[in-house]
Amino acid sequence: MNSAIELSHVSWRADRSFALKELSLRVPMGSIYGFLGPNGSGKTTTIRAFMGMLRPDSGEIRLLGMSVPGDMPRILARVGYVPERPHVYPALTVAEQLRYHASFFPMWDGGWAGELVDRLGLDPTRKIARMSKGETGKLLMLLALAQRPDLLVLDEPTDGLDPVVRRDVLTAVLDYVGETGATVFISSHLVHELERICDWVGVMDRGRLVTELPMTHFKNGIKRIRLSGPPQLPLDPPFTVLSRKHANGSGPSETWVVQGWRDPMRQYFEGVGVTLRDVVDLDLEESFVELLRSSRPDSSERS
Amino acid sequence: MYQPMLFVHWKQVRFALIPFLLAAFGLPLLVVQGLGGPDMSGATGAAAGPVMAYRVIASYAFWTPFFPGLAAATGIFLALSAWNWDHQAKHVYALSLPVPRWQYALLKMGAGAAIAILPAVALWGGALLASASVTLPSGLHAYPTALALRFLAAILLAYAAFFAAAAGTVRTTLWIVSAALAFVLFGNLVPQILTALGFESFARVDLVGAVGEALARMPGPFEVFTGKWMLIDV
Repeated sequence: MNSAIELSHVSWRADRSFALKELSLRVPMGSIYGFLGPNGSGKTTTIRAFMGMLRPDSGEIRLLGMSVPGDMPRILARVGYVPERPHVYPALTVAEQLRYHASFFPMWDGGWAGELVDRLGLDPTRKIARMSKGETGKLLMLLALAQRPDLLVLDEPTDGLDPVVRRDVLTAVLDYVGETGATVFISSHLVHELERICDWVGVMDRGRLVTELPMTHFKNGIKRIRLSGPPQLPLDPPFTVLSRKHANGSGPSETWVVQGWRDPMRQYFEGVGVTLRDVVDLDLEESFVELLRSSRPDSSERS
Repeated sequence: MYQPMLFVHWKQVRFALIPFLLAAFGLPLLVVQGLGGPDMSGATGAAAGPVMAYRVIASYAFWTPFFPGLAAATGIFLALSAWNWDHQAKHVYALSLPVPRWQYALLKMGAGAAIAILPAVALWGGALLASASVTLPSGLHAYPTALALRFLAAILLAYAAFFAAAAGTVRTTLWIVSAALAFVLFGNLVPQILTALGFESFARVDLVGAVGEALARMPGPFEVFTGKWMLIDV
């Protein structure tokens, strides 16, 4: 499968407290890839690395099959980028900002930009400095979409927006993807927002990629199971034990959170003499929290 | 790309530029106030003698530092305004545009340089008006165009120097300023210390003065600031 974004063993040290560590990541072409992680986990730094805005200490980055930073201008002509913080000129009006932006992008679709201005309810004569956060968010999305990009990179695009604006913005993205089949890389710490739209998920924590998998595996593969008479150590299980806790109740019993679960794996417990009492689905947020907990070296619950 | 870049810079600076334009237009008019009066014999204008001509030049000399000063201030203002928003937005927008960084910087520099023509035109207009408003003693001439061209060159030089210094990160700019200050400090201190330690020959060493001289005198790049800024001359 072709990759729209590919990072191989990328490391970058910001200071003593934060670094990207041996980050390898692959975003399949045509996918909507949700990039999850708590604040300060390195999501924006990762984006800045593959957007050529910082130079990694080691590793290799390719975007749309081209090398970063060597082919950067050619890459950026095909990438629509919505950064975490507004970056457009506050002195300009919406129409002036559109004209300025359009002059740099060969694939700029002026007609569609006009349609989006109407659809998103923006006033072309309004000065950017006087726009609300929601209006600025819409403008940034409009600029990225009207470039007709093959890859959309959205860094917390709906952070701080009200639900109506958030829906408008995400609908515009989904419409574009439905029409063009473009790849979307969207970072967020709002787990439920990504659950609805993404087909791949990567989870970052403390500068490391904790996991990367299709959304269906993420949604369905992480379970909480309750066991009676569990062994001291899991004996080579066919799934990953993210955490284990003593459960309340009579007799020795434990609750495990496991990744990569499939129903036929129940047989494993029969083989090791343990009673599987319960298998509970976790919602995406719980799965996300469990994954983060298990990935942290100081986690006392880790198996 | 250049035209939108020029528009953005113009829109950012247009109001703040007004005082510079007014100053550039008004300075030549201010300079000629009171010139061209009668000399000791009562003669005025072309009939006035060489003493009057000397007085005019001496009076004008008082104003000459204001021209390079205004040019430097205008150039610095334009340079800092060129990068102001980019710095505030941590250069994210510029770095997300599909142009090489050198090309982006060149476009931005060209936009500022084009705007720098406006104060020079304002000064030229003021100088032409000032020249027309006085009758100079015989032997003196007005050079409004030469003054305006020198003014433009000085603005562009200050603009280019500060544009380059401000183009990098704050850290880079601090390094440049620190290096310059360190040079001035050590350039003055080291010869004094060596002289105090008994190396008398170092008493005559003036490294900072020599470098300053090399930069500010022909063919140094900053000669445009220290050269003749004469609207009225022989």
